[in-house]
Order: sequence, then C-alpha cells, then structure tokens
Amino acid sequence: MNFILAGINHRSAPVEVRERMNIDEARLAAALSQLISREGIAEALILSTCNRVEVVANADISGDPEPVIRSFLTDYHHCSLAPYDKHLYWRRQEGVIEHLFRVASSLDSMILGEPQILGQFKQAFAVAQQAGALKGELHEVANQALAVGRRVRRETALGSAAISVSYAAVELARKIFGGLEGKTIFILGAGKMSELAARHLASSGAKSIFVSNRTYERAVELAQAFQGEAIRFDSIFDHLHKADIVISSTGAPHFVIRREHAERMLAARRNRPIFFVDIAMPRDIDPAAGELDNVFLYNIDDLAQVVEVNKKLRQREAARAEEIVRQEIQKMMHRLASREMAPTIVAIERRLDGIREKELERFRGRLATLSPEQREAVDGLTRAIQNKILHGPITELKTAAGEPEDGTLAQMIRRIFGVTEE
Amino acid sequence: MHPALLESALAFYGLGTLLTLPSILRRRPAVGAGSLAALSIGLFLNGAALVFAAVHLHRLPVVDIRSALSFFAFNVTLAFFLVYRRYQITWLGVLIFPFVFLLTLAAVLNSSRPFASSAMRGGWLLVHSSAMILGYTGLFLTFVAAILYLMQEGVLKSKQPKAFYERLPSLEVCNRLYDRSLVFGLVCLSIGIITGCLWASRAWSGDWELDPKILATLLTWFLYIVLFSTRFSGSWRGRRSAYAAIFGFAATMVTFLGVSFLSSQHGYFPIISRVH
Repeated sequence: MNFILAGINHRSAPVEVRERMNIDEARLAAALSQLISREGIAEALILSTCNRVEVVANADISGDPEPVIRSFLTDYHHCSLAPYDKHLYWRRQEGVIEHLFRVASSLDSMILGEPQILGQFKQAFAVAQQAGALKGELHEVANQALAVGRRVRRETALGSAAISVSYAAVELARKIFGGLEGKTIFILGAGKMSELAARHLASSGAKSIFVSNRTYERAVELAQAFQGEAIRFDSIFDHLHKADIVISSTGAPHFVIRREHAERMLAARRNRPIFFVDIAMPRDIDPAAGELDNVFLYNIDDLAQVVEVNKKLRQREAARAEEIVRQEIQKMMHRLASREMAPTIVAIERRLDGIREKELERFRGRLATLSPEQREAVDGLTRAIQNKILHGPITELKTAAGEPEDGTLAQMIRRIFGVTEE
Repeated sequence: MHPALLESALAFYGLGTLLTLPSILRRRPAVGAGSLAALSIGLFLNGAALVFAAVHLHRLPVVDIRSALSFFAFNVTLAFFLVYRRYQITWLGVLIFPFVFLLTLAAVLNSSRPFASSAMRGGWLLVHSSAMILGYTGLFLTFVAAILYLMQEGVLKSKQPKAFYERLPSLEVCNRLYDRSLVFGLVCLSIGIITGCLWASRAWSGDWELDPKILATLLTWFLYIVLFSTRFSGSWRGRRSAYAAIFGFAATMVTFLGVSFLSSQHGYFPIISRVH
C-alpha cells in the first residue's frame, strides 16, 4: 500500500484556482486512464467538485510517488504547477484514508453536513471503477469511505440542521407542512432577502408563487422569475389567504398584516396553518397575529436564533462524526495491514509444510509396516504438530497487524523460520 | 387464555417499551431495531394467546375482560406497526407501548371468567365487542396523534431552537394521522354501538338504555361526532381539536373500564341480573 493524495479545496484555494484545476465529469474517465497508465501508479481516483479537486493514487513502487502525480497534473493541465503549489495539499498513507473518510462524511465541506458530497463521491467512485482504475486497496478504501459517509449520516444528526436563514425557513416550513410540494408562497415586498428565501422554498417543491410590491412593475419582474403571479399591493388581502407561506419584507414603517387580517385569512382557509416569515425591518407582521392558533410567525431574530443553535448542534455532531471516522480509520488500517501479513503467513505455512512432507518421505521406509489407518494417524499427528507450532506466530502476526512494530515482527518471524523475503 | 403466552407477551412488550427510550434520548431518526424486534415477538405471542383462547372458547375471544384487554393490546400494537411503516416517527413507540404494556398487564392480572349465561353468547355480542375495541384502538391513535401535534406545535410556537431536534413528525403528518384514525375509530365505534343496542334489545329486559355504561358510551360517541364535524368543517383545527381528542379518549377509557365497575347490567363481570 502506497497511498498519495494531492488536492485543493475551498479553504486552500480561491475559486479561480479551483476552476483552473477542475476536471469536469465528461473528461474524468480519460484523465483517470492517463493517470494509471503512468509508471508506478496502480490505482487512481479523482474527485472534482465546485469546492474541491482531489487526485488520489495507490502506487506500486516503494518510494514517494509525488513526482509522478506532479508530472500528471502538469501534463494534464498543460501548465506548470509552481503558481499552484501553495494551494495544493498532500496526504500520504493513513493520511489519505483519513482525508477520504472525512470528505465523504462532509466533515471537510464548506457547510458541515452538506448532503451533496456523498453523491459526488459515489459518482467519482463509479467513474473510476468503470475506467478500471480501482482494483485493489484503493478500491477498498474508497468503498469504505462511502460506507463511512453513510454511517455518519445515519448515526449523527450532522446533516439535519439548517445553517442559513433561508434554509432555516425551509426547514420550519417542512415541520409545519410535511413537505413543500404543492404549497403556495406569497412574497410581500420584492427585495433581495425575500427573493432568496423564496428561491429556496421554490427549489424545495413549492408550487404557486404570488408576488406583491408597492411598485407593481418590480412585482411583475420577480413574479416572472418564478413563473408566478404578480398582485397589486392594494389587493393583497384578496389573495393572501391562498398562501401557506408568506414571506414579508416590505419597507413599510408600520405593520402590514395585523391580527385581524390573520384571523380572516385563517377563516378563509378553514384554519389550515399559515407560516409567516417576517424578515422586514421594521417588522411587517403584528406579533399578536403569531399568537393565533394555527399561525406560526418567525421574524428575522427567530430565524437567526435557529441558525445559531443549528451551528452549535452541527459542531457537536461533527465531533461525534470525527470519532466515528477515527474508529473506521483504525479498522481500515488493521484490515489493510492484515492483508500485508498474509504473504508472511503463507510463507511460513509453506515452509513447515515442506519440512513435514520431506520428513514423512524420509521415514517412508520405516512407516511401510503400518496399516493404512496408522499411516493416516501419523499423517494427522504431523499436521497437528505443525498447526500447533504455527498457531503462536500466526496469531502474533495477525494481532500485530497495523501496529508500528508489525514490519519488524514479520521480518523476525521470517528469519526464525528461514523464509526469504519475496 | 393461555397464561404463559400472555405473560411472555407482557415481558416482551415491557422490554420493547424500555428499548424505545434510547432512541428518543439520543434523537435517532427511528425506533431502535431491538425495540421493534421485542415488540414483534410480543405481538406474535399476544396473537398466539388470542388464538388459543379462541380455540378454547370456540369463538372470538372478546367477551370476558381478560380477552378484551388482550385483544385491545393486540390491535394497538398492530396499529403501531402499520403507522410506523408509513411514517417513521420515533416518538410513536414511547407513546403507544406503555399503554399496550398496561393493557396486557391488566389482562394478565385478571382471570378469565366467561359468562355463565347462554344469552351472553350471541353473535351480535361478538361483533359488538370487537367493533368497540377496534373503535377504541382508532381513538387511541387519535389521542396519540393529538399528543404529537401538541408537542410539535408547542416547539414551533416557543421558537426555542434547542427543542427543534426532537424527532417529531410535521404538523401535517400529525393531522393526517389524527383524521384517519378518527374516521376509523368513529366508524367502528358506531358499528359497535348499533350492534350493542341490537343485541341488548334482544337479550335484556327493562330499561337497559339507562345503564350507566351504555349512557356513558353514547355520550362519548356523541362527543366524537361533534369532534369529527368541527374538524371536517375546519372550525376546530389545531390545538382545540387536539385537546378534545385527548379528553375524548380519557372519557372512552372511563366508559370501557371504569363504568364496568358501576354498571349492574353491562359490566365485564358476570353480574347479569336482568337477562331473558
């Protein structure tokens, strides 16, 4: 196993550099083929998203494969790596496993717990598999990285907390309405903030969008962006009741929606719940409206509080996720190391087997007088002795696999049994 | 009713109930596998006990108090699995299983005393009893849905972010569960009441209509009809109908169990005085 990883991410490089180093999906397979055709590279994986590019390889040479990776990157991007050196980070051996596991678990992402990275990783894995670039230890590690990512999602709440005001609004809407599909949104006051919130809601499945603004033309403009309907400001109360979610950010100095309006809306909706998102300053919606049964009113402070607590929650869950990743790294290292112990184990087994057969051959004459059952018994006896002798060393090798002294131990055992290094 | 089967069912229900707690405390997205396994085994044993009783009595085991309680527990557990399959609500286990455990405990503690009189063996009686229990099962689910609704609504209204990560279903899901179980419960209850009246008019003489249990049941039924219509028309959605469902279920349980002790005519005790 000789893992190496070269990468840039949103922390190490600005977007221009990431753009330059990006390898788009259509050309990924070709890039991988190029990489594994290089002398010394046995396996490869490339993950390229808008926030990171990771080039991973398993080399079958014993030295440092960094020069090979460098020359690949230089050739592939047709440029010198010198200006990008300060943005590149390198990982080796166990560090590669750790990095891949953390990336797949969204611990290295811009937004902790973001859900896209796992799908992106899965895609990169599939492409590499298809290109024949994964056939051994790297395949195992990448596969396990996906499993770790899934385990972290399953066992921690890392992915479930909203981290921005609009995400928070979407999440709250989900807690009220179940899903957003088919729901109606009313945007009161066509400003930047309400547009952003509406965009999030719309992309989560909301169906109809009404927009109203003091200046009708602006409402029409925004409505068109969402394929919605523009409503004149003086007739909003004829249409507000149609909305499940109202996002309000007018510049009005007083309350636009008062308690009585909310009561009338509820009556017209037969008491189906209403979610008011009041991001205006000063507030557009009378807090008394929020006291009504079936009305849920959140202003900018409330949403910010949700986001703030979510951040803390994410951090706490991230700590748990890191613990899971640590466990998994240990398991993986042990697994890979046991694989490395296998040749030694096989070698000493073969050696003792050879001794056993030779001695049996030597004593054949003297054993000829035995009956078949007795000969079988002798055979069994020698085998049992051999296994008992081997049991100690093999157990030691397996337990020591992955520990720092495993290489020395394997060497010693080979020396003791007179087995040559392959 | 085979005592060992029911007692083992009780043990597994108890185990399953306890195992639902870690999922809540750790805010997991689902009821733990251990809990589900224990509850499934409990359900199976409960069912087996009922089958044995049926074979022994040569009829559906719902007429004596022990069988009725055990049948009730069985139905509620079955309902849990059906609802859980549709909506993975972690809180469902914590809310439903203590009740199942109590029902089964009551069943285990009560000895089986089938009614002596031949009049208590009518076919209508079986339909009545089963329908009533199915009705109570539905109304229990309405009760659970109401509690879930109040919890989630409370969290949303309080705007206390820490509370948001309880694994509670959305208000929409609570409402849907509420409405569907209400309809189911009310239909079964209605069938139960009608068949009960049919049976009673034949089996009992005198003013059986004034028997306390029967009156109480009719009142409860009426309350649920009101609940259903206000819900349907929309005038009572939200917190009020949730409180009503909780109150209604409490009333139901009083009529089911409590009034049995007061009713001379109807009780689940063989104190039948006015039989043909």
